[in-house]
Amino acid sequence: MNFKRTVQAASLLFFLALLLLAAFPLKTWFPTDFFLRLDPLVFTGTLISSREWVSALAPGLIIILLTLVLGRFFCAYICPMGITLDISDRVFRPRYNNSFLSPEKSHGLRRVKFWILFFILGTAIVGVSTVFLGSPLSLITRFYGLVIYPLAVHILDLGLDSLFFFYSALGLERLAYIEFQTPRFATQVFVLLFFAAVFSLVLLSPRFWCRYLCPSGAVLALFSVRPLLRRTVSSSCTECGLCQSKCPMQAIEPDPARTRHQECIVCEECVRICPEKAITFAPGFRQADRPAPYWPQRRRVLASVLGGMGTALLLQTGVREVRSDTAPGNLASKFLIRPPGALLEEDFLGRCIRCGQCMKACPTNTLQPVWFESGILGLFSPKILPRRGPCEPLCNICGQVCPTGAIRSLPVLEKTWARMGTAHVLREKCLAWAWDRKCLVCFEVCPYAALELRRVPDISIPVPFVLLDKCAGCGACEFHCPVQAESAVVVEPMNSLRLNKGSYIEEGRAQGMSLEADPDREREPPEDILTEEDSPEALPPGFNY
Amino acid sequence: MSKKKTVFDKNPLFSRSFMSRREFLKAQGGIAVFMAASGVGIMNWPEKARAEDYPDIALSTGVPDQATRTSVELLGGMSSFVNSGDRVVIKPNMSFAHTPDRATNTHPEVVRALAQMCVQAGASRVLVLDNTLHSAERCLELSGIRQACSGISGTEVLALSSARFFQEVELPGALNFRRTDIMRQVLQADVLIAAPVAKSHSATGVSLSMKGMMGLIRNRGVMHSRYNLNEAIVDLCTFLRADLTVVDASRVLSSHGPHGPGEVIRGDIVLASRDMVAADAKTVDLFPWYGRSIRPEQVAHIRIAHERGLGRMDIENLDIRTVEA
Repeated sequence: MNFKRTVQAASLLFFLALLLLAAFPLKTWFPTDFFLRLDPLVFTGTLISSREWVSALAPGLIIILLTLVLGRFFCAYICPMGITLDISDRVFRPRYNNSFLSPEKSHGLRRVKFWILFFILGTAIVGVSTVFLGSPLSLITRFYGLVIYPLAVHILDLGLDSLFFFYSALGLERLAYIEFQTPRFATQVFVLLFFAAVFSLVLLSPRFWCRYLCPSGAVLALFSVRPLLRRTVSSSCTECGLCQSKCPMQAIEPDPARTRHQECIVCEECVRICPEKAITFAPGFRQADRPAPYWPQRRRVLASVLGGMGTALLLQTGVREVRSDTAPGNLASKFLIRPPGALLEEDFLGRCIRCGQCMKACPTNTLQPVWFESGILGLFSPKILPRRGPCEPLCNICGQVCPTGAIRSLPVLEKTWARMGTAHVLREKCLAWAWDRKCLVCFEVCPYAALELRRVPDISIPVPFVLLDKCAGCGACEFHCPVQAESAVVVEPMNSLRLNKGSYIEEGRAQGMSLEADPDREREPPEDILTEEDSPEALPPGFNY
Repeated sequence: MSKKKTVFDKNPLFSRSFMSRREFLKAQGGIAVFMAASGVGIMNWPEKARAEDYPDIALSTGVPDQATRTSVELLGGMSSFVNSGDRVVIKPNMSFAHTPDRATNTHPEVVRALAQMCVQAGASRVLVLDNTLHSAERCLELSGIRQACSGISGTEVLALSSARFFQEVELPGALNFRRTDIMRQVLQADVLIAAPVAKSHSATGVSLSMKGMMGLIRNRGVMHSRYNLNEAIVDLCTFLRADLTVVDASRVLSSHGPHGPGEVIRGDIVLASRDMVAADAKTVDLFPWYGRSIRPEQVAHIRIAHERGLGRMDIENLDIRTVEA
């Protein structure tokens, strides 16, 4: 294994380990969103779209600055997308011919990544984040977190299932009792199709994505015109052309001594394969070896930026796009329950890079990628799906793993006050309300004691009511409700508390909420439901006669 | 010295054609191996041997650990329930991620004492099982039960919910709720011990040994939605009939159960019985619920169980012995 492969393996394993560690409870001090924060496009795009300096994303700037010295080393050695493509390229590459793209076509295609980059930055100028369309770290995190991880867990679980009798017969009971809860996600087929397309592009060229499409690569290309550490060819070169044909980025000019540094990812493949050992990467100062830098044409840049701005502005006129949470005339989907601590919707969408890390980390699998519930601009952003799982009051992992602060990282006490929505009972479906059934599961499971049992005329048992000031919209009631299909108690984003800064506890109190920082309900019991002392109906809940 | 079923002795109403978990086990042939090994045959089980020797309900006051031991001792000791080599399942309440002071879970000392007694009586395997309502990991941790049982050999505390741990079975004695998925470990066990905490329940009045059996099945929801919950509990208990019931009333959640927080009464009592219904009935009788005294027949599932001959709620006619531990 050569140096490149070793570093690549280490990077990818580190990335995957951090992704696995992005789980509740968080068991590492090391930021699990580390790789996401290295992405130069995440840094640039979010800086523009959020109009704020997000210091957590500063590592992206450091990568850009290092590129001035080292060239695009990030693409070869760090980017998990690039490394994954190297692996998939080895698997899927055609065995016969690898040059479908003529050098001219290839040269023209290289510009596409700049157009994508400037399109994304154009939307960012309008305050819309489309970083998720092209950011390699966002894409690859979504791929591993929402597609590969659930698949792996599912296979493990099935394996344990099918071998259950085998190892329990062997007395390996410890093993037998391991339980995996397979996370399940919406939109995973789409993510998979996207990656199938990206992987299959190897039919046209290796690292097709990196060469022609990757907007993060484009950012780095703008800063690697003249890197300090650069490819140098000695006079012993015989111009055999091997390096040109093997360069994964096609960064070597027809004259093998000349290198397009903007395309070179410093993988040093040419150094390894050169039969004459004529190539080194060393600090270079000579001007002569350097081809003219490629700068995307001003007109194209302008067109891309304007295209991005125009598209973003146009999409904002769509009726489904959520512009404000509270103003009348805005359609907010009743299914669009944002995670606790999510910024105000517009700012949230400006920050969220749709990496899916929060969804991967969510212990109850309630966080799901949105499809089109909040218009096209909300694609892949996280929402709470209470029927799948409740939001655990003591968990604040989604904010902790969010790389951009679209979900605020809140202390647990604050988080319990970050109200997501409000539950309401569908009386026509509720077992107690509609059928006189002794169920009251919602009352049992509500961690906020937001359900109250009251006696009403004509119903033999006490029935549940939601207390508006106590409901945090966690969805425990909706999740546990035994009524099939739609739950008989459902959470809507109504009355969610969204704050860009400041204390949820203070604001919640000011609004008359009482989401006591006490998800374990260790506080005063709800008001007694007993009505009359001695009448037969006055028996405590659950007793008869 | 062997097991016996008081239900048969005392209840002419109780039909022997009911197939309980134990008979299910026999039907599976699993027990044949065990009996061949231990030299005990079905025919030899002395069904009436102990009816007069031991009380119907043993009640012991004191700290949880000692009270548990004393009340089981009064019933003839654990060895009259557990034979050498038996696989035992203990079903406590550990469904809530709460600490013991909340009285929503069984006191860890009670579970530990039971597990230790089982191991002393020769149990080959003691599984403390529940299908928890809250996150399994947090329940095992906060309830203190896993920690309490950690040092006991052959004992494992598990919260199981995956499909592979369950097997669908018929409940032959049931009237309505006739089919459900039950934990395999329970189906394979030789002895089932119910070890509930005493607590109120918003839907069923109280949640004691009978209601607690819902923690051994996979899909509890249908018991609420498709059936009458109280009837369904009795249906389930015709199959999951505990050999020994030990009610932890060291603390009693007398209101706002099963979740609380509610009024927690210091009971300082552990009571034991061979009869789930009698144990539950006596517990109802012992404590005020929501500050009021409640009769066992006011708890629908206890009344139905009595009427259907599963056990006895007429505690005034039972032999109840009280001892200070």
